[in-house]
Amino acid sequence: MIYLDSAATSFQKPVAVGRAMETALREMSSPGRGGYPEAMRAAETLFSCRTELAELFHVSEPERVVFTMNATHGLNIAIKSLVPYGGKVVISGYEHNAVTRPLAALGADIRVASAPLFQPDMTVEAFEKEITPDIDAVICTHVSNVFGAVQPVEAIAAICRKNDVPFIIDASQSAGMLPLDMTALGAAFIAMPGHKGLYGPQGTGVLLCCEKTETSPLIEGGTGSVSLQQDMPEFLPDRLEAGTHNVPGIAGLLEGVRFVRRLGEDTICMHERQLALRASEGLRQIPGISVCARRDLFSQTGVLSFVPEGLDSELVGNALAEEGYAVRAGMHCAPLAHRTAGTLESGTVRLSFSVFNRVEEVSQLLTALPEILKRLSA
Amino acid sequence: MEQYWIIARSVTYAQRMERVLTAAGIRTRIFRAPRELSDRGCAYAVELTGGVVRPALAILRGAGFYPTKLYLLQHGKYVEVPL
Repeated sequence: MIYLDSAATSFQKPVAVGRAMETALREMSSPGRGGYPEAMRAAETLFSCRTELAELFHVSEPERVVFTMNATHGLNIAIKSLVPYGGKVVISGYEHNAVTRPLAALGADIRVASAPLFQPDMTVEAFEKEITPDIDAVICTHVSNVFGAVQPVEAIAAICRKNDVPFIIDASQSAGMLPLDMTALGAAFIAMPGHKGLYGPQGTGVLLCCEKTETSPLIEGGTGSVSLQQDMPEFLPDRLEAGTHNVPGIAGLLEGVRFVRRLGEDTICMHERQLALRASEGLRQIPGISVCARRDLFSQTGVLSFVPEGLDSELVGNALAEEGYAVRAGMHCAPLAHRTAGTLESGTVRLSFSVFNRVEEVSQLLTALPEILKRLSA
Repeated sequence: MEQYWIIARSVTYAQRMERVLTAAGIRTRIFRAPRELSDRGCAYAVELTGGVVRPALAILRGAGFYPTKLYLLQHGKYVEVPL
């Protein structure tokens, strides 16, 4: 199988990730719940992971690195900490359902700062127009999960700071690939999964929390601290981490983060962009395919969508799966992004790469695809 | 050798203090705090030996930590030491 769906989950992991998970299962119990070696080893693993993440994303203190189940979990905490029922928010036109569904549940007044794909200047103008001091929160994905389009979060963060409006960044597609400086951005929250660009296992996620922002727990329960008190602890990370942690998952995530830091985000990004560029060039040679990218992949990462004209993108995805290619097709849980880009009716087929993909794999797909399309069109 | 315990509100906070002290060459250990030392229930303690308590507290304050409780283990009892 050739795996080209790393925007969903980076399936191939560094060997150390699996090993660390096995070790955690054998040697670690509940962190923060005891003083015996198994509990302390678990606590040490969590602290090491928080510290590595705090350094990677320039977070002031490791306590502000909160473990979640995934990016969706983190986004829910961030949104529900800042947006009251019926609150006012500004979002980009490329948000995932992980953002839009919690906002819908809150009955939020949503203003979409809409701009065409790969137009960062127009995106900034759209946000500038919508952000006013009465907004409860601004939410923007760093990179579109459908199109790989990089959103100008630095400029949006500056507008938020100017208007004193809290900023939530969804780093689901950028963490581990593009630099993110929590302190410099002044973001209220940055949410990310552990299982994509950070090369950790599924079921891990991270929420970075700014010192100035108050947080609301999504769930309440035991934390191994201030147990006589019936309110959740007022301090992080305990406030947002009720219940026993996913210790094997976090042990794996720690090794994934170390892997990313060793290689460097620039190296990873360059590799994935080169693969996307090769795919984009090849796809443009295939009749009946419309590629959702600029020729030079301006303002784009290693995520690439294409529209198979006249064919259902899901059927193309299924046919590719039968031939041994793992891709994602359809809506990608991001109908807003498709509406903004004009691909809501067709959906797209998405290719997304990781550091473990090779150019030969892209070439194989490009060789196989014309025959598959021909068969489906017949 | 006298044993002193600094009470930390959580294991993460105790770990941060431990890292700062270790980096300064001061050996510490982290324990689950006895019930009588955790007035809000469930806490951790960072153990220090007698000779390094004052320098350790100065280092912690310099790094932005402000311990609220310090105890001396004396004849099997915990005696609060003014900070």
